[in-house]
Amino acid sequence: MFKFIKLATKNVFRNRRRTIITGLVLVFGATALILAGGFIAFSFRGLSESTIRGQLGHIQLFTEEALQREEERPLELGIDSADAMKRKILALDHVRFSMARVEFMGLISNGDKSVAFLGRGVEPEKETKLAGFALAVDTGKFLGETQANATESEVILAKGLAKSLKAKVGEYLTLMTTTSKGALNAMDVKVAGIYSTGIPEYDERALMVSLPTAQQLLNSAKVSKLVVVLDETDKTEEVAQKLEHLLPGIKAKRWFEMATFYNAVVRLYNAIFGFLGVIIFVIVVLSSSNTMMMSIFERTKEIGTQLAVGTSPLRLMMNFLYEGLIVGALGGGLGLVVALILSGLVNQAGIMMPAPPGSTRGYPLIVDYVPTLYVAVFLLIAVTTVLATIFPAYKASRLKIVDALGHV
Amino acid sequence: MNSLVQTESLAKTYKLGNTEVPALRGLDLAIEEGEFTSISGPSGSGKTTLLNILGLIDSPTSGRVYLEGAQVKYNGLTTLHRIRLEKLGFIFQTFNLIPVLTAYENVEYPLLLTKKSSAIRKELVERALKDVKLWEFRKHKPNELSGGQRQRVAIARALVNSPRIVLADEPTANIDSGTASEILDLMRTLNEEEKVTFLFSTHDQLVLSYARRVVKLHDGAIVNA
Repeated sequence: MFKFIKLATKNVFRNRRRTIITGLVLVFGATALILAGGFIAFSFRGLSESTIRGQLGHIQLFTEEALQREEERPLELGIDSADAMKRKILALDHVRFSMARVEFMGLISNGDKSVAFLGRGVEPEKETKLAGFALAVDTGKFLGETQANATESEVILAKGLAKSLKAKVGEYLTLMTTTSKGALNAMDVKVAGIYSTGIPEYDERALMVSLPTAQQLLNSAKVSKLVVVLDETDKTEEVAQKLEHLLPGIKAKRWFEMATFYNAVVRLYNAIFGFLGVIIFVIVVLSSSNTMMMSIFERTKEIGTQLAVGTSPLRLMMNFLYEGLIVGALGGGLGLVVALILSGLVNQAGIMMPAPPGSTRGYPLIVDYVPTLYVAVFLLIAVTTVLATIFPAYKASRLKIVDALGHV
Repeated sequence: MNSLVQTESLAKTYKLGNTEVPALRGLDLAIEEGEFTSISGPSGSGKTTLLNILGLIDSPTSGRVYLEGAQVKYNGLTTLHRIRLEKLGFIFQTFNLIPVLTAYENVEYPLLLTKKSSAIRKELVERALKDVKLWEFRKHKPNELSGGQRQRVAIARALVNSPRIVLADEPTANIDSGTASEILDLMRTLNEEEKVTFLFSTHDQLVLSYARRVVKLHDGAIVNA
């Protein structure tokens, strides 16, 4: 086999200019795929972290029942003894902290007008810790840490809701909801700030209060969920399984199971990457098969000779496939090197990408180094080149010897 | 059926559009082991067609070919290449060496298609190249050799697998007369000393003078027995 590979190598470099041109196409293809793949990997990483830090956390814990059916009354299916549970959670490896949230709904009124709202009771300091920076409040301030020293309950309103109620910071509004026992309850709250969720529809309805305020309004010590934040995103599955084992009756939802936007972006990017892959596949196939067809055309007489001296059609086909493999491996391999160098240069250059929709800040153009991507692209290029060679090689192996020998 | 090669009513007709052009018309020919035979005749007499059919690189329209007593099945793609490899040697008018390979590698090529070990291959190639007196040129590529040297490499390649018969299509057509004599001397020596059977086509009188037997073709038929 070695001798045939040696022969194939000699044939590959017989027409150097053509081989170089084909090789450059392969290098270009491999480089484009790796750079695009590396940038997409970086984007996924950035988006997953922003999704986690934005609001989801790494894991959210619910009672099993809460995931199986709808609540008839607020916090009916909530988690009891959240504090004890948080202590157990904190004892696990890779857990940075956990925090409780209460989800509720009701009406909010300014005296003249009442509007339906979607409320969330939060632990403000931990929410800030999750985001890594103070939550963006357009006007006013974020909620205080606890109600312990406050004389009055505070609320922050999403900007659409604030606009609907013509509410300003410092004004008082009334929250009305059904308690966990089914009674009606109302509470006056002072507008501490107005914020933006980034989602226009949600901006029309959202508000946040502190956890004690929410629990007081709902007349329950339960919480809707516990949000667990880890030190490494890669440990999500491992910790989620441990939590389900540690906390009977509790179900863990991983961040990626809840990240609708993230999953949509991943699907979109994967489709774009797949489309790019198909384009490069087609370019490689056309380029390689064209090169091989020309090579076969030029070597028709030689092919006739090889068949005449006893080469089997299969052996002849294999010889051409070796040539395809050598070109593919060289082009793909060189492509990896070029991609690695270009990735380094791009990452060093500090190029800024424009701000994505819904954001006011750009982000750096970074190409991640993903070893599996390099391996996959190399294999794709090599295999594609071999595949592109099959048809020309088959045609060569089926040449009529007497016609091939007479070829001029 | 003791002949090395035998044909019965061998015919070949080419179709050119709607016209049928007969190249061979019912040839009966027997070649015995150890012969040094020339097929002669003017251009278009069917010499090359006959050699191509006997060399299993073309198929007859009708008739039969026997090789060592066994009828050749021209539709047996899987077996034809093995017969070509093991029993036949081919020398071409234009040498037909693989340009990227050295003389040594060209001669070794048919052996690579067999299961012979590296040591045996080396021994056989060395012997074949020494037989054609080109051992010292073994590292030369075809474009570094003269026409005569190239044809000698082709002869070595044809002989290296110890074929039962070597078929040569106008082997001296592309070389000067001096070199042609050398090539013919070499073929005769191999025939006499190694008992290699040669069947070659030519219309060159010099070549014919070397042949022990001459089969004359005219319009696809044998005109002498």
